[in-house]
Amino acid sequence: MGDQAEGLTNNSSETNIESSGNQDELIMAQQRQIEKEISETIPLVGELEAITTLSSEYSTDEVYLSKIKDLVSKYSHIRRTRPDGNCFFRAFSYATLERLLGDKEEFIKFYKLAENSKSILVELGFQQFTVEDFYDTYMEVLKRLADIDNVEAAKKELHTIFNEQGYSDYMVVYLRLLTSAQLQKEQDFYSCFIEGNRTVADFCHQEVEPMYKDSDHIHIMAACSALNTGVRVSYMDRGTGTTVTQHDLPEGCIPTVHLLYRPTHYDILYV
Amino acid sequence: MAGSALRRLMAEYRQLTLNPPEGILAGPINEENFFEWEALITGPEGTCFEGGVFPAKLTFPPDYPLSPPKMQFTCDMFHPNIYSDGRVCISILHAPGDDPMGYESSAERWSPVQSVEKILLSVVSMLAEPNDESGANVDAAKMWRENRDEFYSIAEKIVRKTLGIPI
Repeated sequence: MGDQAEGLTNNSSETNIESSGNQDELIMAQQRQIEKEISETIPLVGELEAITTLSSEYSTDEVYLSKIKDLVSKYSHIRRTRPDGNCFFRAFSYATLERLLGDKEEFIKFYKLAENSKSILVELGFQQFTVEDFYDTYMEVLKRLADIDNVEAAKKELHTIFNEQGYSDYMVVYLRLLTSAQLQKEQDFYSCFIEGNRTVADFCHQEVEPMYKDSDHIHIMAACSALNTGVRVSYMDRGTGTTVTQHDLPEGCIPTVHLLYRPTHYDILYV
Repeated sequence: MAGSALRRLMAEYRQLTLNPPEGILAGPINEENFFEWEALITGPEGTCFEGGVFPAKLTFPPDYPLSPPKMQFTCDMFHPNIYSDGRVCISILHAPGDDPMGYESSAERWSPVQSVEKILLSVVSMLAEPNDESGANVDAAKMWRENRDEFYSIAEKIVRKTLGIPI
Protein backbone atom coordinates (compact mmCIF):
# COMPACT_ATOMS: atom_id res chain seq x y z
CA MET A 1 0.00 0.00 0.00
CA GLY A 2 2.93 2.31 0.73
CA ASP A 3 4.04 2.07 -2.92
CA GLN A 4 0.61 2.90 -4.25
CA ALA A 5 0.23 5.93 -2.05
CA GLU A 6 3.46 7.48 -3.42
CA GLY A 7 2.04 8.66 -6.73
CA LEU A 8 -1.29 9.92 -5.43
CA THR A 9 -2.26 13.54 -5.03
CA ASN A 10 -2.32 15.12 -1.61
CA ASN A 11 -6.02 14.79 -1.19
CA SER A 12 -6.48 11.15 -1.96
CA SER A 13 -3.34 10.11 -0.09
CA GLU A 14 -4.80 11.83 2.93
CA THR A 15 -7.93 9.70 2.63
CA ASN A 16 -5.63 6.72 2.42
CA ILE A 17 -3.76 7.66 5.57
CA GLU A 18 -6.99 8.19 7.37
CA SER A 19 -8.37 4.82 6.41
CA SER A 20 -5.13 3.07 7.30
CA GLY A 21 -5.16 4.76 10.69
CA ASN A 22 -8.75 3.76 11.22
CA GLN A 23 -8.06 0.24 10.02
CA ASP A 24 -5.37 -0.24 12.65
CA GLU A 25 -7.81 0.90 15.29
CA LEU A 26 -10.56 -1.32 13.89
CA ILE A 27 -8.26 -4.34 13.96
CA MET A 28 -7.28 -3.58 17.55
CA ALA A 29 -10.90 -3.09 18.52
CA GLN A 30 -11.86 -6.37 16.90
CA GLN A 31 -9.00 -8.19 18.60
CA ARG A 32 -10.05 -6.77 21.95
CA GLN A 33 -13.65 -7.80 21.29
CA ILE A 34 -12.60 -11.40 20.52
CA GLU A 35 -10.40 -11.58 23.61
CA LYS A 36 -13.21 -10.15 25.68
CA GLU A 37 -15.73 -12.68 24.40
CA ILE A 38 -13.42 -15.60 25.11
CA SER A 39 -12.43 -14.43 28.55
CA GLU A 40 -15.95 -13.53 29.64
CA THR A 41 -17.09 -17.13 29.30
CA ILE A 42 -14.70 -17.92 32.18
CA PRO A 43 -15.43 -16.45 35.64
CA LEU A 44 -12.81 -14.06 37.07
CA VAL A 45 -12.23 -16.64 39.80
CA GLY A 46 -13.98 -20.01 39.50
CA GLU A 47 -15.40 -22.50 42.00
CA LEU A 48 -13.25 -25.20 43.61
CA GLU A 49 -12.95 -28.20 41.25
CA ALA A 50 -11.37 -31.62 41.71
CA ILE A 51 -7.83 -31.66 40.34
CA THR A 52 -8.75 -34.68 38.20
CA THR A 53 -10.96 -32.44 36.02
CA LEU A 54 -7.74 -31.27 34.35
CA SER A 55 -7.43 -34.63 32.54
CA SER A 56 -10.49 -33.96 30.40
CA GLU A 57 -8.69 -30.98 28.81
CA TYR A 58 -5.87 -33.21 27.58
CA SER A 59 -7.53 -36.56 26.89
CA THR A 60 -5.14 -37.47 24.07
CA ASP A 61 -1.94 -35.78 25.19
CA GLU A 62 0.37 -38.33 26.84
CA VAL A 63 2.88 -35.75 28.08
CA TYR A 64 0.24 -33.71 29.87
CA LEU A 65 -1.61 -36.78 31.15
CA SER A 66 1.47 -38.13 32.91
CA LYS A 67 2.16 -34.73 34.42
CA ILE A 68 -1.44 -34.42 35.59
CA LYS A 69 -1.03 -37.81 37.29
CA ASP A 70 1.94 -36.35 39.17
CA LEU A 71 -0.10 -33.24 40.04
CA VAL A 72 -2.99 -35.38 41.32
CA SER A 73 -0.59 -37.08 43.74
CA LYS A 74 0.30 -33.66 45.20
CA TYR A 75 -2.93 -31.65 45.03
CA SER A 76 -6.63 -32.32 45.53
CA HIS A 77 -8.31 -29.24 44.00
CA ILE A 78 -7.89 -26.46 41.49
CA ARG A 79 -9.55 -23.06 41.19
CA ARG A 80 -9.40 -21.62 37.68
CA THR A 81 -9.00 -17.93 36.92
CA ARG A 82 -9.90 -15.89 33.84
CA PRO A 83 -7.04 -15.80 31.30
CA ASP A 84 -6.98 -12.02 30.80
CA GLY A 85 -3.33 -11.23 31.50
CA ASN A 86 -4.15 -10.43 35.12
CA CYS A 87 -4.40 -14.09 36.18
CA PHE A 88 -1.25 -14.21 38.30
CA PHE A 89 -2.15 -11.10 40.27
CA ARG A 90 -5.78 -12.14 40.69
CA ALA A 91 -4.92 -15.72 41.67
CA PHE A 92 -2.14 -14.72 44.06
CA SER A 93 -4.23 -12.03 45.72
CA TYR A 94 -7.23 -14.36 46.13
CA ALA A 95 -5.21 -17.32 47.42
CA THR A 96 -3.28 -15.16 49.89
CA LEU A 97 -6.44 -13.65 51.37
CA GLU A 98 -8.27 -16.99 51.40
CA ARG A 99 -5.50 -18.52 53.50
CA LEU A 100 -5.35 -15.53 55.85
CA LEU A 101 -9.08 -15.82 56.58
CA GLY A 102 -8.31 -19.02 58.45
CA ASP A 103 -5.58 -17.40 60.56
CA LYS A 104 -6.72 -14.34 62.55
CA GLU A 105 -3.26 -13.43 63.83
CA GLU A 106 -1.67 -13.53 60.39
CA PHE A 107 -4.61 -11.58 58.96
CA ILE A 108 -4.05 -8.75 61.44
CA LYS A 109 -0.34 -8.62 60.53
CA PHE A 110 -1.26 -8.51 56.86
CA TYR A 111 -3.82 -5.77 57.49
CA LYS A 112 -1.15 -3.60 59.13
CA LEU A 113 1.27 -4.23 56.24
CA ALA A 114 -1.43 -3.15 53.77
CA GLU A 115 -2.41 -0.14 55.87
CA ASN A 116 1.13 1.24 55.74
CA SER A 117 1.64 0.55 52.07
CA LYS A 118 0.19 3.76 50.64
CA SER A 119 2.82 5.97 52.23
CA ILE A 120 5.52 3.73 50.77
CA LEU A 121 4.05 4.20 47.30
CA VAL A 122 3.87 7.96 47.73
CA GLU A 123 7.46 8.07 49.01
CA LEU A 124 8.52 6.23 45.88
CA GLY A 125 7.02 9.00 43.77
CA PHE A 126 3.55 7.70 42.88
CA GLN A 127 1.14 10.64 42.84
CA GLN A 128 -1.20 10.36 45.81
CA PHE A 129 -4.41 10.93 43.84
CA THR A 130 -3.52 8.15 41.38
CA VAL A 131 -3.06 5.47 44.08
CA GLU A 132 -5.76 6.60 46.51
CA ASP A 133 -8.81 4.86 44.99
CA PHE A 134 -6.98 1.55 44.61
CA TYR A 135 -5.68 1.71 48.17
CA ASP A 136 -9.11 2.66 49.54
CA THR A 137 -10.77 -0.24 47.71
CA TYR A 138 -8.09 -2.66 48.91
CA MET A 139 -8.55 -1.57 52.53
CA GLU A 140 -12.35 -1.59 52.20
CA VAL A 141 -12.22 -5.22 51.06
CA LEU A 142 -9.88 -6.20 53.94
CA LYS A 143 -12.22 -4.49 56.41
CA ARG A 144 -15.28 -6.20 54.98
CA LEU A 145 -13.56 -9.57 55.35
CA ALA A 146 -12.27 -8.82 58.84
CA ASP A 147 -15.78 -7.99 60.01
CA ILE A 148 -17.07 -11.49 59.25
CA ASP A 149 -16.45 -13.89 62.15
CA ASN A 150 -17.41 -17.11 60.45
CA VAL A 151 -14.52 -18.32 58.26
CA GLU A 152 -16.72 -20.02 55.67
CA ALA A 153 -18.94 -16.94 55.36
CA ALA A 154 -15.83 -14.76 54.93
CA LYS A 155 -14.52 -17.06 52.18
CA LYS A 156 -17.85 -16.81 50.43
CA GLU A 157 -17.69 -13.01 50.61
CA LEU A 158 -14.13 -13.09 49.23
CA HIS A 159 -15.36 -15.15 46.29
CA THR A 160 -18.23 -12.73 45.63
CA ILE A 161 -15.92 -9.70 45.79
CA PHE A 162 -13.37 -11.23 43.43
CA ASN A 163 -16.07 -11.93 40.87
CA GLU A 164 -17.32 -8.35 40.83
CA GLN A 165 -15.33 -6.86 37.98
CA GLY A 166 -14.88 -3.44 39.57
CA TYR A 167 -13.61 -4.65 42.95
CA SER A 168 -11.65 -7.52 41.45
CA ASP A 169 -9.79 -5.28 38.99
CA TYR A 170 -9.01 -2.69 41.67
CA MET A 171 -7.52 -5.47 43.84
CA VAL A 172 -5.39 -6.46 40.83
CA VAL A 173 -4.22 -2.89 40.22
CA TYR A 174 -3.22 -2.42 43.85
CA LEU A 175 -1.16 -5.61 43.90
CA ARG A 176 0.46 -4.49 40.65
CA LEU A 177 1.40 -1.20 42.33
CA LEU A 178 2.76 -2.95 45.44
CA THR A 179 4.79 -5.23 43.14
CA SER A 180 6.11 -2.24 41.22
CA ALA A 181 7.05 -0.55 44.51
CA GLN A 182 8.90 -3.66 45.67
CA LEU A 183 10.87 -3.85 42.41
CA GLN A 184 11.81 -0.19 42.65
CA LYS A 185 12.74 -0.39 46.32
CA GLU A 186 15.17 -3.22 45.59
CA GLN A 187 16.19 -2.16 42.13
CA ASP A 188 19.86 -3.08 42.55
CA PHE A 189 18.83 -6.69 43.01
CA TYR A 190 16.08 -6.85 40.37
CA SER A 191 17.95 -4.95 37.66
CA CYS A 192 19.98 -8.11 36.88
CA PHE A 193 16.77 -9.87 35.78
CA ILE A 194 15.72 -7.20 33.28
CA GLU A 195 16.82 -7.65 29.69
CA GLY A 196 17.85 -4.83 27.40
CA ASN A 197 18.57 -1.26 28.41
CA ARG A 198 15.45 -0.69 30.44
CA THR A 199 15.71 0.64 33.98
CA VAL A 200 13.70 -1.05 36.74
CA ALA A 201 11.35 1.96 36.75
CA ASP A 202 10.80 1.70 32.95
CA PHE A 203 10.12 -2.01 33.34
CA CYS A 204 7.55 -1.29 36.05
CA HIS A 205 5.78 1.38 33.98
CA GLN A 206 5.58 -0.91 30.94
CA GLU A 207 5.28 -4.46 32.29
CA VAL A 208 3.93 -4.26 35.85
CA GLU A 209 1.63 -1.25 36.32
CA PRO A 210 -0.54 -1.55 33.17
CA MET A 211 -3.53 -3.89 33.39
CA TYR A 212 -3.63 -7.09 31.32
CA LYS A 213 0.17 -7.41 31.07
CA ASP A 214 1.27 -10.99 31.70
CA SER A 215 3.50 -11.84 34.65
CA ASP A 216 6.92 -13.41 34.64
CA HIS A 217 9.20 -14.90 37.28
CA ILE A 218 10.35 -11.43 38.32
CA HIS A 219 6.77 -10.22 38.96
CA ILE A 220 6.17 -13.25 41.19
CA MET A 221 9.38 -12.76 43.17
CA ALA A 222 8.51 -9.13 43.86
CA ALA A 223 4.82 -9.79 44.63
CA CYS A 224 5.79 -12.52 47.14
CA SER A 225 8.16 -10.21 48.87
CA ALA A 226 5.66 -7.33 48.84
CA LEU A 227 2.97 -9.46 50.53
CA ASN A 228 5.50 -11.36 52.64
CA THR A 229 4.07 -14.63 51.35
CA GLY A 230 5.76 -17.78 50.05
CA VAL A 231 4.41 -19.41 46.91
CA ARG A 232 5.01 -22.78 45.23
CA VAL A 233 4.50 -22.74 41.45
CA SER A 234 4.02 -26.05 39.62
CA TYR A 235 5.07 -25.67 36.00
CA MET A 236 3.24 -27.89 33.54
CA ASP A 237 4.11 -27.75 29.83
CA ARG A 238 4.91 -30.08 26.94
CA GLY A 239 8.59 -30.22 27.89
CA THR A 240 10.35 -33.53 28.62
CA GLY A 241 9.76 -35.46 31.83
CA THR A 242 6.72 -37.04 33.42
CA THR A 243 6.47 -34.81 36.48
CA VAL A 244 5.64 -31.14 36.99
CA THR A 245 8.55 -28.86 37.90
CA GLN A 246 8.08 -27.00 41.18
CA HIS A 247 9.66 -23.75 42.29
CA ASP A 248 9.33 -22.13 45.70
CA LEU A 249 9.49 -18.36 45.81
CA PRO A 250 11.28 -16.96 47.65
CA GLU A 251 13.66 -19.90 47.52
CA GLY A 252 13.62 -22.01 50.67
CA CYS A 253 10.31 -20.58 51.96
CA ILE A 254 7.47 -22.59 53.43
CA PRO A 255 4.88 -21.99 50.69
CA THR A 256 1.38 -21.02 51.79
CA VAL A 257 0.02 -20.34 48.31
CA HIS A 258 0.14 -22.90 45.51
CA LEU A 259 -0.24 -22.01 41.84
CA LEU A 260 -0.34 -24.03 38.65
CA TYR A 261 1.40 -22.52 35.65
CA ARG A 262 0.58 -23.63 32.15
CA PRO A 263 2.16 -21.54 29.38
CA THR A 264 0.82 -17.97 29.76
CA HIS A 265 -1.67 -18.84 32.51
CA TYR A 266 -1.92 -19.26 36.33
CA ASP A 267 -4.60 -21.10 38.35
CA ILE A 268 -4.79 -21.77 42.12
CA LEU A 269 -3.98 -25.23 43.55
CA TYR A 270 -5.09 -26.77 46.86
CA VAL A 271 -3.19 -29.47 48.78
CA MET B 1 -17.54 0.73 38.87
CA ALA B 2 -18.44 3.89 36.98
CA GLY B 3 -18.54 5.48 40.44
CA SER B 4 -14.79 4.93 40.81
CA ALA B 5 -14.09 6.50 37.42
CA LEU B 6 -16.13 9.53 38.42
CA ARG B 7 -14.36 9.83 41.79
CA ARG B 8 -10.98 9.66 40.10
CA LEU B 9 -11.93 12.23 37.43
CA MET B 10 -13.16 14.62 40.12
CA ALA B 11 -9.87 14.20 42.00
CA GLU B 12 -7.90 14.89 38.82
CA TYR B 13 -9.99 17.97 38.07
CA ARG B 14 -9.38 19.27 41.59
CA GLN B 15 -5.66 18.60 41.23
CA LEU B 16 -5.49 20.42 37.86
CA THR B 17 -7.40 23.39 39.24
CA LEU B 18 -5.24 23.71 42.37
CA ASN B 19 -1.91 23.14 40.60
CA PRO B 20 -2.41 23.96 36.95
CA PRO B 21 0.62 23.09 34.80
CA GLU B 22 1.89 26.06 32.81
CA GLY B 23 0.07 26.67 29.56
CA ILE B 24 -2.63 24.07 30.14
CA LEU B 25 -6.29 24.40 31.11
CA ALA B 26 -8.55 21.35 31.36
CA GLY B 27 -11.85 20.33 32.85
CA PRO B 28 -15.27 18.86 32.15
CA ILE B 29 -17.23 20.67 29.44
CA ASN B 30 -20.29 20.44 31.65
CA GLU B 31 -20.13 19.45 35.31
CA GLU B 32 -23.11 17.14 34.76
CA ASN B 33 -20.88 14.86 32.70
CA PHE B 34 -17.34 14.26 33.94
CA PHE B 35 -16.54 11.86 31.08
CA GLU B 36 -16.17 14.61 28.44
CA TRP B 37 -13.49 17.21 29.00
CA GLU B 38 -12.22 20.18 27.09
CA ALA B 39 -8.56 21.20 27.21
CA LEU B 40 -6.81 24.34 26.04
CA ILE B 41 -3.14 23.90 25.25
CA THR B 42 -0.78 26.79 24.63
CA GLY B 43 1.81 26.20 21.93
CA PRO B 44 5.21 25.71 23.58
CA GLU B 45 7.57 28.68 23.51
CA GLY B 46 10.38 28.65 21.02
CA THR B 47 8.52 26.30 18.66
CA CYS B 48 6.50 26.94 15.51
CA PHE B 49 3.31 26.50 17.54
CA GLU B 50 4.27 29.27 20.02
CA GLY B 51 1.43 31.67 20.80
CA GLY B 52 -1.35 29.39 19.57
CA VAL B 53 -4.13 28.26 21.90
CA PHE B 54 -5.32 24.83 20.78
CA PRO B 55 -8.66 23.43 21.97
CA ALA B 56 -9.09 19.66 22.32
CA LYS B 57 -11.67 17.20 23.58
CA LEU B 58 -10.92 14.31 25.94
CA THR B 59 -13.32 11.36 26.14
CA PHE B 60 -13.02 8.99 29.10
CA PRO B 61 -14.14 5.32 29.07
CA PRO B 62 -16.39 4.00 31.90
CA ASP B 63 -13.48 1.94 33.27
CA TYR B 64 -11.09 4.92 33.46
CA PRO B 65 -8.29 4.86 34.70
CA LEU B 66 -7.90 1.15 33.86
CA SER B 67 -8.20 2.20 30.20
CA PRO B 68 -6.93 5.50 28.75
CA PRO B 69 -9.07 8.36 27.40
CA LYS B 70 -9.13 9.43 23.76
CA MET B 71 -8.01 12.88 22.74
CA GLN B 72 -8.94 14.91 19.68
CA PHE B 73 -8.07 18.50 18.76
CA THR B 74 -11.13 20.46 17.71
CA CYS B 75 -9.22 23.12 15.78
CA ASP B 76 -7.31 22.76 12.50
CA MET B 77 -4.05 20.92 13.12
CA PHE B 78 -1.16 19.89 10.93
CA HIS B 79 1.28 17.71 12.80
CA PRO B 80 2.95 14.30 12.21
CA ASN B 81 1.33 12.74 15.31
CA ILE B 82 -2.19 14.10 14.84
CA TYR B 83 -4.64 12.58 12.34
CA SER B 84 -6.24 15.10 9.99
CA ASP B 85 -9.49 14.76 11.97
CA GLY B 86 -7.65 15.94 15.09
CA ARG B 87 -7.20 12.61 16.89
CA VAL B 88 -3.96 12.51 18.85
CA CYS B 89 -1.72 9.49 18.39
CA ILE B 90 0.94 9.23 21.10
CA SER B 91 2.18 6.28 23.11
CA ILE B 92 0.82 7.38 26.51
CA LEU B 93 -2.72 7.09 25.09
CA HIS B 94 -2.16 3.38 24.43
CA ALA B 95 -1.64 0.42 26.75
CA PRO B 96 1.53 -1.60 26.04
CA GLY B 97 0.98 -4.07 23.24
CA ASP B 98 -1.75 -1.88 21.77
CA ASP B 99 0.30 -0.05 19.21
CA PRO B 100 -0.80 0.71 15.70
CA MET B 101 2.26 2.92 15.29
CA GLY B 102 4.94 0.55 16.58
CA TYR B 103 6.12 2.91 19.30
CA GLU B 104 9.58 2.42 20.75
CA SER B 105 9.58 -0.04 23.63
CA SER B 106 10.89 2.67 25.95
CA ALA B 107 8.00 5.01 25.18
CA GLU B 108 5.66 5.98 27.98
CA ARG B 109 2.47 3.88 28.07
CA TRP B 110 -0.92 4.10 29.68
CA SER B 111 -1.38 2.59 33.14
CA PRO B 112 -3.82 3.38 35.97
CA VAL B 113 -1.21 5.61 37.66
CA GLN B 114 -0.88 7.89 34.65
CA SER B 115 -3.14 10.96 34.59
CA VAL B 116 -4.77 13.64 32.46
CA GLU B 117 -1.96 15.96 33.47
CA LYS B 118 0.71 13.51 32.24
CA ILE B 119 -1.15 13.12 28.94
CA LEU B 120 -1.40 16.87 28.40
CA LEU B 121 2.28 17.38 29.25
CA SER B 122 3.15 14.64 26.72
CA VAL B 123 1.03 16.43 24.14
CA VAL B 124 2.91 19.69 24.79
CA SER B 125 6.23 17.92 24.21
CA MET B 126 4.78 16.26 21.13
CA LEU B 127 3.96 19.74 19.74
CA ALA B 128 7.51 20.84 20.49
CA GLU B 129 9.15 17.71 19.12
CA PRO B 130 7.14 15.82 16.52
CA ASN B 131 7.98 12.15 16.19
CA ASP B 132 8.19 11.57 12.44
CA GLU B 133 8.79 7.83 12.91
CA SER B 134 5.19 7.16 13.83
CA GLY B 135 3.27 9.32 11.41
CA ALA B 136 -0.46 9.59 11.98
CA ASN B 137 -0.40 12.28 9.29
CA VAL B 138 2.10 11.09 6.68
CA ASP B 139 1.99 14.35 4.72
CA ALA B 140 2.86 16.34 7.82
CA ALA B 141 5.63 13.88 8.74
CA LYS B 142 7.08 14.11 5.22
CA MET B 143 6.96 17.91 5.19
CA TRP B 144 8.49 18.12 8.70
CA ARG B 145 11.36 15.97 7.43
CA GLU B 146 11.88 17.43 3.98
CA ASN B 147 10.54 20.97 3.91
CA ARG B 148 10.75 22.50 7.35
CA ASP B 149 10.07 26.07 6.12
CA GLU B 150 6.78 25.12 4.53
CA PHE B 151 5.83 23.22 7.71
CA TYR B 152 6.56 26.37 9.76
CA SER B 153 4.43 28.53 7.50
CA ILE B 154 1.45 26.15 7.78
CA ALA B 155 1.97 26.05 11.57
CA GLU B 156 1.94 29.84 11.66
CA LYS B 157 -1.38 29.95 9.80
CA ILE B 158 -2.84 27.44 12.25
CA VAL B 159 -1.60 29.48 15.20
CA ARG B 160 -3.14 32.68 13.78
CA LYS B 161 -6.40 30.88 13.12
CA THR B 162 -6.66 29.69 16.75
CA LEU B 163 -6.24 33.32 17.86
CA GLY B 164 -8.78 34.63 15.35
CA ILE B 165 -6.11 36.75 13.61
CA PRO B 166 -6.68 37.12 9.85
CA ILE B 167 -4.22 34.93 7.93
